[in-house]
Amino acid sequence: MAGIVKLALIFLRIGLIFFGGGYVLIPLLHRIMVDQLHWLTLTEFLDGVALSQLTPGPLAMLATFTGYKGGGVVGALVGTACIFLPCTALMLFLSSRYERLRSMELVKAALDGILPAVVGLVVAAAYTLGKTSLLTVRDFVLLAAGFGILQFTPVSPMFVILGAGTVGYLFHFA
Amino acid sequence: MPDRSLPAIKRVMEPTRTVPRREIFKVFFIIGATGFGGGMAIVSLIERYCVQEKKWVSLEEFMHGLAFGQILGPFSLNTCTFVGYYLRGVAGGIAAAVGFIAPSFCLITLLSWLYFKFHELPQLQSALKGTNPVVIALIVVAAVGMAKSKVRNRSAWVMALSAFVAAAFFNMSALLILVAAAAWSLARAWYIRENA
Repeated sequence: MAGIVKLALIFLRIGLIFFGGGYVLIPLLHRIMVDQLHWLTLTEFLDGVALSQLTPGPLAMLATFTGYKGGGVVGALVGTACIFLPCTALMLFLSSRYERLRSMELVKAALDGILPAVVGLVVAAAYTLGKTSLLTVRDFVLLAAGFGILQFTPVSPMFVILGAGTVGYLFHFA
Repeated sequence: MPDRSLPAIKRVMEPTRTVPRREIFKVFFIIGATGFGGGMAIVSLIERYCVQEKKWVSLEEFMHGLAFGQILGPFSLNTCTFVGYYLRGVAGGIAAAVGFIAPSFCLITLLSWLYFKFHELPQLQSALKGTNPVVIALIVVAAVGMAKSKVRNRSAWVMALSAFVAAAFFNMSALLILVAAAAWSLARAWYIRENA
């Protein structure tokens, strides 16, 4: 029980200082889980990172893996809930102020002014991902096919993504 | 009969169409289960389902949510919470967040159990190699749609391009880029107002 409380407090603390998305989390969790608490060996930690990248969902699901090691299924649940509690609370608060913020003239100008920057960020994500995973002709064929289907047909992206995964799995993409 | 008239007035003031929380949970569960590729891939999925297909939020509101989401924690989860809140308040936000996290939570817990028992990772690498290009296509489709409606003049193109270069080539954090963009837009709006 004491272990679970400790785990909850540690993940709450991580959730509170977790600015800037998933890739900030890796060095942070590494320092706490491997160096300070010795809950995970370095190999286990790196395998955990790989596991969070292989599965759908945000990279921060690494918290589930480390929580599991710290306290089984309960640990996984507590770790996941605690790491996401601060950002979800903040987001609910911001959302509740959103309508009022947007009715202020200058705030609206600032909010609408940043939309092109958001587009730039989305393209940057595609570029960064493409740089590491578009390596062969086969990848570009899949990219083109995916683009065609998603842009011009109403097929659900769920089927497109799971279909591409099946193709990769069956043909043993190396 | 004052008590009876009250709900009638309330009903008029409520939005004409409220999305059931179950529906919110279901849609975000599907997004959580197919959100391979992390952050922006998930955001593109949310855009596809919630803006294009269900028309729950406008593209503009959605992009505001994405910008707010950069502040703390994973922005994919935060964007889900934002859309959920927009539809049904706090309960909707929580339904969206929990629905989104649930599938990966179950999957990772199961795989963690297998991993700590056998110390071996599942052979999912080749499946991921197949999904990655398609996930990039998904992000590009979302970006094209956003650019078409929100990047329409020269100054918007300059800002979009600057943000792209700063993020892709200089590894600047998204939050910093958005704060700079907001400061610039605010100064511009201020200047226009003072000189109008």
